[in-house]
Amino acid sequence: MYRREFLQAAAAAPVALAADVRQELPKYRVVSRFQPVAHPGMPGPYAGKVTRVHAEKCIDEKSEKADVPTVREMMAQGMRGLTGDTDARDSWARFFTAADVVGIKVNCSGAPGIMSTPEVVGEIVRNLGTVDVKPEQIWIYERFKNQVDSVHYDRHVPGGVHIWTAENDRGSILSYDPNTYVDVNFFGEEDTRSNLIRLVSERFTKIINVPNMKDHGAAGVTGCLKNIAYGDFSNVARSHSGYKTNTYSFIGTLAGVEPLRSRTVLQIMDGLRGVWHGGPFSPNRKFRFYPKQMLFGTDPVAIDRLLLDVIDDKRKAEHSVSVWDRSMTNLKSGYGYDDNPSLNRFIREPGHIEYASTLGLGIYDVHKIQARKIEL
Amino acid sequence: MIVVFLAVLLPGLHWDQGPEAAKALKQAAIERLYVPADQVTAWKKEGFDAQPFDAARYLKLPVPGVRYQMDLAAATNVPWVDANGWRFERGRAQNIDRRYYYSVPWHKAALAAAEAYASGADAVVHPDPRDLTALSRMLAFLRSIDGPRLPALANIGVIDDGSAETGEVLNLLARRNLLFRVVHAPDPTLDLNVHIGSTEYPKAEAANPAAFATSVRQKLTDEKRLVRVYGSDVVLGRLEGNERQIRIHLINYGGGKVEGLRVRVRGPYPHGTLAAFGLSNVKLGDHAASVDATEFTIPEMDVSAVVDLRK
Repeated sequence: MYRREFLQAAAAAPVALAADVRQELPKYRVVSRFQPVAHPGMPGPYAGKVTRVHAEKCIDEKSEKADVPTVREMMAQGMRGLTGDTDARDSWARFFTAADVVGIKVNCSGAPGIMSTPEVVGEIVRNLGTVDVKPEQIWIYERFKNQVDSVHYDRHVPGGVHIWTAENDRGSILSYDPNTYVDVNFFGEEDTRSNLIRLVSERFTKIINVPNMKDHGAAGVTGCLKNIAYGDFSNVARSHSGYKTNTYSFIGTLAGVEPLRSRTVLQIMDGLRGVWHGGPFSPNRKFRFYPKQMLFGTDPVAIDRLLLDVIDDKRKAEHSVSVWDRSMTNLKSGYGYDDNPSLNRFIREPGHIEYASTLGLGIYDVHKIQARKIEL
Repeated sequence: MIVVFLAVLLPGLHWDQGPEAAKALKQAAIERLYVPADQVTAWKKEGFDAQPFDAARYLKLPVPGVRYQMDLAAATNVPWVDANGWRFERGRAQNIDRRYYYSVPWHKAALAAAEAYASGADAVVHPDPRDLTALSRMLAFLRSIDGPRLPALANIGVIDDGSAETGEVLNLLARRNLLFRVVHAPDPTLDLNVHIGSTEYPKAEAANPAAFATSVRQKLTDEKRLVRVYGSDVVLGRLEGNERQIRIHLINYGGGKVEGLRVRVRGPYPHGTLAAFGLSNVKLGDHAASVDATEFTIPEMDVSAVVDLRK
């Protein structure tokens, strides 16, 4: 049998039972010259604490246009709620100084349907300015240029702010640090390395993570952990093959790599819009919804734990399969999944959030999470 | 250890149009070519170093390149690389004076020439006439590479029974940059010897060559691999060297430029230079050598790159 025939046969063969998927974790080798700091950014000074700010007026559902004054108030209240300060400037000053070079890790994988909302990112930049971080020291960054280009962040931030992508040509490794990577062989792939974005290791002193509220066909949901992990390393799509995905352990492993873990000091989950099926992409508007909220914290696990309920509750309300569903009967590769919320593309791994908690990245137990809700 | 230097062998050009095309060849800076026997004199009169081409003396090769078969159900989305390096290795072990012939479509002549050169194969390329300039540029690049050929490096020995199944195993080993040489008996100086049909490597397993190659990789271990290429699925490497220096030939089968390639080779080589086809002033980036291994980045690569490393 030649390789072509074999590959066809392998694709058609029954896959392992879903329950077997997590039996054995891949063998990860983390290579980094950076030592962990005493108090890393994740889970940070507010482990287990999440401030949720909901505002009905923050986005117009028809036009999907964000309301800047409302976003501004949400951010002020969210930061004050997180830190306990009475002045939002003091809250920002807890995290950033004029000497910092700040990376804002946006999420544009669903653009232009859903992304880190430009008005939200613009407000983050404005607040950094209040603590004297100059525009030239701020980098809005993502992996893929074609996705970011469709968003036009430049229209919402002052001149001088960098809008930067790691891969202008898909697959280019030039913007990644050759000396900071996770080496793992998932499926016999030849390139077994996922390298950290070089700006993170060599330039940024702090990072703000700005994920969305999205369903994810492989990871179950995509929030803080997925955005900071898969969004900061090269060559990560290799973790999925057939119905199997290694997101369960890969996401937390990547998020824990130094200096990413230490430098990611603030999580601002942008839930003005959300995606309840077909994520991380959003070509189909019928799967978008409008949670109209933002979550603030330093603990990515705690925020993502709350996100799980947001997405799963919405899916239940829409009578689709749960993000926890591991039934083989609901799996369908290729076309069909994107338009049918009763199907799964992969055996989802929402357990990646709990797994990340075992790596010390945050608090998963919902009873231990201090969630405060502010209604505007 | 006796240092063996091998002669540098550049691929030849096979041209079957008449001497009326001499102007085009001169414009492409072609000086040496293989032509039909009855045209040799006429071509020589035009000032070319012309040799008679006898097709019977050559083994025709498949066209090198890559195929993206997105519509094919497969367990992997890694593109198909059609490469001939394993054929050269197999032919070399048969210890006969084998010559190879490529007849390639437009945009493939430079790749064919680079592939043959990397393996030190005696080959002739018949290009599409539109490829004359590209082929000429490639030959000029290969000619510019300094130094004599060094012995090929490999750390896997494969006992070849000449079968199609074993051929496909050799193909997939080469495709995965698992550097082998064909041996007639297990060689204790190599890290791994593969005897298809033995208890350890049953013939039945070779019927699934992809899994077989994976098994060989696991038994060797990635740490012991002589070369690793990160950042591309379509760049294959070949090593030659001695105790003081190594040369890495890298061939990009993808048809487009590769932006960024990280390469790891075994052994400490703190000094290195890069020659990249079609690119000037490119240097090795992030070159780092430890006791166990050396790594470097090639910032950009077209069809061919040659890296010389020294201790």
